[in-house]
Amino acid sequence: MRYFSQLSLPGKLALFAFALGLVAVFGDPYGGGAVTLHPQELAVLVQKEVDHVSVERLADWIIQKKSDYRLIDLRDAGSYATYHIPGAENVQLTGLTDAALARNEKIVLYSDGGIHSAQAWFLLKAKGYDAAYILRGGLDDWKDQVLYPVLAANATPVETAAFQRKKEVSAFFGGTPRLGSAPGVTAAAAPLPEPALPKVQAPAAPTASAAAPKKKKEGC
Amino acid sequence: MASVLPSAVLDAAAVPIPRVAARREAAPYLNPYLAGVGLGLVLLAAFVIMGRGLGASGAFSTFISWAVASVAPAHAKGNEFYQGYLQSGGSHPLKDWLIFELLGVLVGGFVSGVLAGRVRKTVEKGPRISTRSRLLLAFSGGTLMGFGAKLARGCTSGQALSGGALLSVGSWAFMLMVFAGGYGAAWFVRRQWQ
Amino acid sequence: MSAPFFKFGLFGAEFSLVMAFAIGIGFGFFLERAGFGSARKLTAQFYFKDLAVFKVMFTAIVTALLGLFYLSWAGVVDLSLVYFGPTWLLPQIAGGLMLGVGFVIGGYCPGTSMVALATGKVDAVFFVLGVTAGIFVFGEAYPAIQGLVNATPMGEITLPQLFGLRYGVVVFLVVLMALAGFWGAGAWERRLARRAGEV
Repeated sequence: MRYFSQLSLPGKLALFAFALGLVAVFGDPYGGGAVTLHPQELAVLVQKEVDHVSVERLADWIIQKKSDYRLIDLRDAGSYATYHIPGAENVQLTGLTDAALARNEKIVLYSDGGIHSAQAWFLLKAKGYDAAYILRGGLDDWKDQVLYPVLAANATPVETAAFQRKKEVSAFFGGTPRLGSAPGVTAAAAPLPEPALPKVQAPAAPTASAAAPKKKKEGC
Repeated sequence: MASVLPSAVLDAAAVPIPRVAARREAAPYLNPYLAGVGLGLVLLAAFVIMGRGLGASGAFSTFISWAVASVAPAHAKGNEFYQGYLQSGGSHPLKDWLIFELLGVLVGGFVSGVLAGRVRKTVEKGPRISTRSRLLLAFSGGTLMGFGAKLARGCTSGQALSGGALLSVGSWAFMLMVFAGGYGAAWFVRRQWQ
Repeated sequence: MSAPFFKFGLFGAEFSLVMAFAIGIGFGFFLERAGFGSARKLTAQFYFKDLAVFKVMFTAIVTALLGLFYLSWAGVVDLSLVYFGPTWLLPQIAGGLMLGVGFVIGGYCPGTSMVALATGKVDAVFFVLGVTAGIFVFGEAYPAIQGLVNATPMGEITLPQLFGLRYGVVVFLVVLMALAGFWGAGAWERRLARRAGEV
């Protein structure tokens, strides 16, 4: 201890640096493979549903050509090739941690329903991605509300008026609006014919660099 | 004639900065290790606040690219090097991070100099060389520096300090070669300094 | 993870210029504190008379290196969002050599020349003009030398990746190397002082 106090300031700094360097051997700057979970924090987020994005909102984003988010399709490659929401990138759950996802961009996850996207959301949240979102209802809801919106047979005038917008959105994505049967008849009892999925002629998924094409490099 | 004029007038004519700054005995330099820690913390601040390191030569490049584009826009458009420094995402090319940073360096250097009494109009050179030769060599050295910095994508501030702290391979190789080049050429210009 | 603040949108491009100015003030301040506004002090390094350049540079690197490492480990800084320049080995080696030669001939580097300008050095004016000329020559020659300039690209490669070592291990090795260098520099300067005392 006396030796330490006799050291000059640079000497003390040198010792401090040595100690820090030594401890660094056991550390990992990228957090390594382990994840940290804050259960209560996550529970609150889940309850508040702040990290949900509705299919209607996503449809609006796509129509408005917003580029401040990345859309991730978690299904297998075959399903992705058959149909995917325009602008989506195909990343499997197992490849999620390796994927080039940045923590400062909005990431919207979807799967067929909501289970895989919710589980992927947890993964990303644990790895420190604060801007991960779940597409509520997944592709199933996308088909029901956006591609093939249904106008019930006994719809009110207000609903009919609102349906006009839904028809336009549906047409934009190549879907077909449907007119529903009378109430009381569930979809299972009188299933509507599953229309053919629209061909996706959307271009390749937007890359992160496309968001700021004319920005200068950050070098010196 | 000069001796007839009172020294105060001579001083005022020769040194166009606050007399306080030049008259005082220049303070000793700060311990290099402490200065290094200070510098390191500034560099760390840049990483944490901006997500980038420091730099210097890039500001020069931006300025030159803007100047060339202003004088000969077609020529600049066809040159990939200049174009690289003119992509400013819509805002004026001179509203560049490094340019503002270098302006800050001027201010910070001046403040420290004033505080230490180290601001005076001089020519830094050794005793065995004339002022004229020194100024010529300063220009030549600068030219080599400028060219080399662009080859290496940075200078000591950007590549060596910032890239070094990030453990970039190219930066460390660059740093090694800077020392090699300096030591290698030192003997040939020893008259300039010693 | 909330840092780097700018990358997480804490402030916009306009304010980042204010930050640039502020950070630059700190940069210039400490450069001048160390005496790097003087070409004689800077070049004394290459005559083994004054090893301040080595001491300051490597202390700064170690400080920032340790700072970044620990802040990243603690989950404060997202290292993947910090700009990392790619490596082009050959041009960086050639450029480094040129820069070193230019350093000892010119007496400054671009950053320190600003500090020298601010403290009244006339030779710094000529140096800055030289740097401008050198970059202009490079720009004009670029189409012709593009091949050399972009030779041997290695991408964004780190020393840990190159040597197959863990990041923390390389950090420790760098710290050890720097401390050894500082000890050696101190021993050398003590020897110089003894010799000066004997003479």
